[in-house]
Amino acid sequence: MSSKQNFAVNEKRDAPQARPAPLPWRHWLGVGPFFLFAFLFIFLPSLSLFIGAFQDASGAFTLKNFADLSRPEIVDAYWVTIRISLVTAVGGGLLGFAMAYGVTLGGLPAWVRTALSTFSGVASNFAGVPLAFAFIATLGRTGMVTLILKLVFGLNLYDKGFSLYSFWGLSLTYLYFQFPLMVLIITPALDGLRREWREAAENLGATSWTYWRRVALPILTPSILGAMILLFGNAFGAYATALSLTGGFINLVTIVIGSQIKGDILHNVGLGYAMAFGMVIIMATMMTLYYLLRRRSERWLRP
Amino acid sequence: MAFLTLTDISKYFGGVAAVERFNLDVEKGEFVSFLGPSGCGKTTTLRMIAGFELPSSGTILLDSEDVTYKAPNQRNVGMVFQSYALFPNLTVGQNIGFGLQVRKENEAVIKARVDEMLGLIHLEQHQNKYPYQLSGGQQQRVALARALAIQPRVLLLDEPLSALDAKIRVELRLEIRRIQQALGITTVYVTHDQEEALSLSDRVVVMSQGRMEQVGTPFEIYNYPRTQFVAQFVGQLNLLPITGLDLAAETCLLAGQTVQFEHHQSRQLSEAPRLAIRPEEFRLGALEGCNVLSGRVETVMFLGAVVRLRVEVGGLLFSADLFNERNITPPRVGEQIEISFPVHACWLT
Ligand SMILES: Nc1ncnc2c1ncn2[C@@H]1O[C@H](COP(=O)(O)OP(=O)(O)O)[C@@H](O)[C@H]1O
Ligand SMILES: [Mg+2]
Repeated sequence: MSSKQNFAVNEKRDAPQARPAPLPWRHWLGVGPFFLFAFLFIFLPSLSLFIGAFQDASGAFTLKNFADLSRPEIVDAYWVTIRISLVTAVGGGLLGFAMAYGVTLGGLPAWVRTALSTFSGVASNFAGVPLAFAFIATLGRTGMVTLILKLVFGLNLYDKGFSLYSFWGLSLTYLYFQFPLMVLIITPALDGLRREWREAAENLGATSWTYWRRVALPILTPSILGAMILLFGNAFGAYATALSLTGGFINLVTIVIGSQIKGDILHNVGLGYAMAFGMVIIMATMMTLYYLLRRRSERWLRP
Repeated sequence: MAFLTLTDISKYFGGVAAVERFNLDVEKGEFVSFLGPSGCGKTTTLRMIAGFELPSSGTILLDSEDVTYKAPNQRNVGMVFQSYALFPNLTVGQNIGFGLQVRKENEAVIKARVDEMLGLIHLEQHQNKYPYQLSGGQQQRVALARALAIQPRVLLLDEPLSALDAKIRVELRLEIRRIQQALGITTVYVTHDQEEALSLSDRVVVMSQGRMEQVGTPFEIYNYPRTQFVAQFVGQLNLLPITGLDLAAETCLLAGQTVQFEHHQSRQLSEAPRLAIRPEEFRLGALEGCNVLSGRVETVMFLGAVVRLRVEVGGLLFSADLFNERNITPPRVGEQIEISFPVHACWLT
């Protein structure tokens, strides 16, 4: 008997398992609150948003709200929001990746890793009014760091064109919660790179660069992109930080929606709904991408 | 001159010796196994040959070249890991071709070699699958092909079969030996499984606590173990306390019954020498010209090819393996039996 036959017979993958019996309904009880919440606070609002987007002030059906989305100031709002989300997702993503690399594969002492992950856990949730005030107190026109730079180093940030209340100032502020989120998401992925892969590559003659290009990066790419999409969404939906930092000076989509829905001057609820609907579409697209990418990397890494 | 030479290799991890004064000559085309319990330094030694660890002292010569401190990617040595370590993002064919691609071989050469390797491991139809679509045994064969595709000077395998089921382990063991002999490649194989080491190797290095205990052919290692560790680690061994030792007459008393043995002057005896006998040396009944003991059967264990008895003689317990035959009647528990073993089969340690 040839060994080929042997292997064919003996190494079949596990046969598909029998379909399990349907679960009794009480097994669903534990996740009941989750579905209730999802229904009340995700599904219902989305539905009313969807309906409201097609209604005018009197409640009659209209497509005008969607037509209004093409108004220059609305397009600008989307554009600046997408830009700031992209910049802080990529910037925070790269910075977070570098830090996570340092504490996982970079051979830094273990306490650095503990410190970084504790900090990241806290900082990734630090946003809104407190974050804005923290940055105003340090990098504002009369902030600590601004003053120290001016008095000690003779460097006047605001004369050089920097402003905390500008696009880049807001991006910098966002980075404070963006890169820690990246650290939290990407560290497990870096831990998942097995030492043997690097050694096998080296053993076959590869340099460190070749290993990263041909093996490590392709394996990590879905995780990195997926993480960056989460960062994008994180910045895309932010509202309070930008509002309290710039006081509406930068017209993010969320800020415009806020003023359309509850503002006195620009009151147009239908347009606000249509804009929110636009955000949902953009985020849904992002999440679909994320899901597809993650599925690909998980397939590879199935044990 | 030997093809691979390790001279006085030691490796310390933070002052603790993992390998000490390791000396070995491997001939071209030879299959050598490192055999020993977990933690005895087998992997560390292998990794020094591959370049993943640097020796604390000593030199490694490969084909007359000093490679002691050479980078792993400069050595042209193939390595197979226990965990397969296939690149999960590359297909079987891409995995096998990886080393040649790194060497910037042209596509036609790579394709030809990949096809040749796939033929060697009988996985032609799986070229475009990803590792996760293969069974463990198939993955390990791909890993073997990947290591061989670069035509390494030496093939290193670190417990390559440990993660596989018993049956596939035996099949793949034969495969590895067949491929090794077909290519005539110099091979170092690490295992803690004595059966693997004995069945595969031209020579076996038995290791314990970072030191070499004995180097020899499987036959020598099994039949002429030079230390008590080797005798006990390789195969089963009864070590029985004795009294009334008479070295000149080569006799002693085992639970009061006289036993004749063969003593070699070169052999160093311990303070309280014991008699060593392998279980398979025993035969039922009182045989002519043999040592004969009479004792009582304590347990009978049917293992398939052999029937293992535990026999009690004057308070001493020992194991005796009898070959199974369909027409024998194995002794029963509690039965008084006579059991024999040849004079040349036992020795003092
Ligand atoms: N990188 C390392 N750092 C510290 N100790 C190590 C390292 N690698 C191996 N050792 C130690 O060296 C000894 C030999 O290990 P190893 O070569 O892996 O044994 P084996 O492969 O025979 O099981 C063990 O005591 C192990 O704990
Ligand atoms: Mg080991």
